[in-house]
Amino acid sequence: MNCKKAGVLISASVDGELSASEEQGFLLHLSECKECRVEFDDAKKTKLIIQEKIIQFKAPDALIVAIMQLTSLNTKEPHLYE
Amino acid sequence: MDKTDPTRQTKTRTKKESLSREERQKQLEFQNEAVGHLNALYNYALHLTMNPSDAEDLVQETYLKAYRFFNSFERGTNCKAWLFKILKNNYINRFRKNSKEPGKVDYDLIKDFYHSIKDTRSDTSEAESDYFHSLLHEEVYQALHSLPEEFREVIQLCDIEGFTYEEIANMVESPIGTVRSRLYRGRKLLRNQLEGYAKKYGFNNDNDQ
Repeated sequence: MNCKKAGVLISASVDGELSASEEQGFLLHLSECKECRVEFDDAKKTKLIIQEKIIQFKAPDALIVAIMQLTSLNTKEPHLYE
Repeated sequence: MDKTDPTRQTKTRTKKESLSREERQKQLEFQNEAVGHLNALYNYALHLTMNPSDAEDLVQETYLKAYRFFNSFERGTNCKAWLFKILKNNYINRFRKNSKEPGKVDYDLIKDFYHSIKDTRSDTSEAESDYFHSLLHEEVYQALHSLPEEFREVIQLCDIEGFTYEEIANMVESPIGTVRSRLYRGRKLLRNQLEGYAKKYGFNNDNDQ
């Protein structure tokens, strides 16, 4: 495997999305190529930064209430309480 | 004659009850499967619209549609992915068609936004010496939003929402190979952006001690 081929696989490897044979070839290349190793580490780090730094907001309470109401709109069961 | 009437009544009653029971079951199942993804959907909507009230509308619309078409949801598949796809379609239909140019980021809005909404994440701030870890949320957010939409979108869906390539491919209606290369190129672009921020704030790449 050359660097060009390995480069395309970097992100997929970070995400665990390579097939077994791809992974094998890719890791073999990494063991021989420092440049690609560095790029691989960079990609991993970039993913980590996004995961760590992008804030997940909590949905506003009003929205939660609205959604819950929405899903119980069609469930009137008058005979149950009659 | 006296006998038939009550029987009939029971019959119609049973029918009525079983119908509503079905509806109730649908409701229960929907709440179990779908409502748990509310926060993720809201965040995705925020990323798309950059506007809290638009995001709320979008999420409501999505749930309304999802509930109505819940029967078409393939049981056993990823409900979150299904909801995201609905939301994305709604977004395109509702906002994109007649709105501002895509990819234009209102940085003031992001800032306001960051200051007005509470952070729900407990901050995992380990003492990292690495300069990338010194970046602020806002900088990373801005860097992400400075990417062309096709790259930002896949990074978001993969890194933040944790979808598989297959699910992402389905959502963005492109082959898996395209998702792969967009992620690869997107992360490279993002890396450059972040380095820019890091330099701007005086952190140095060569600082390895």
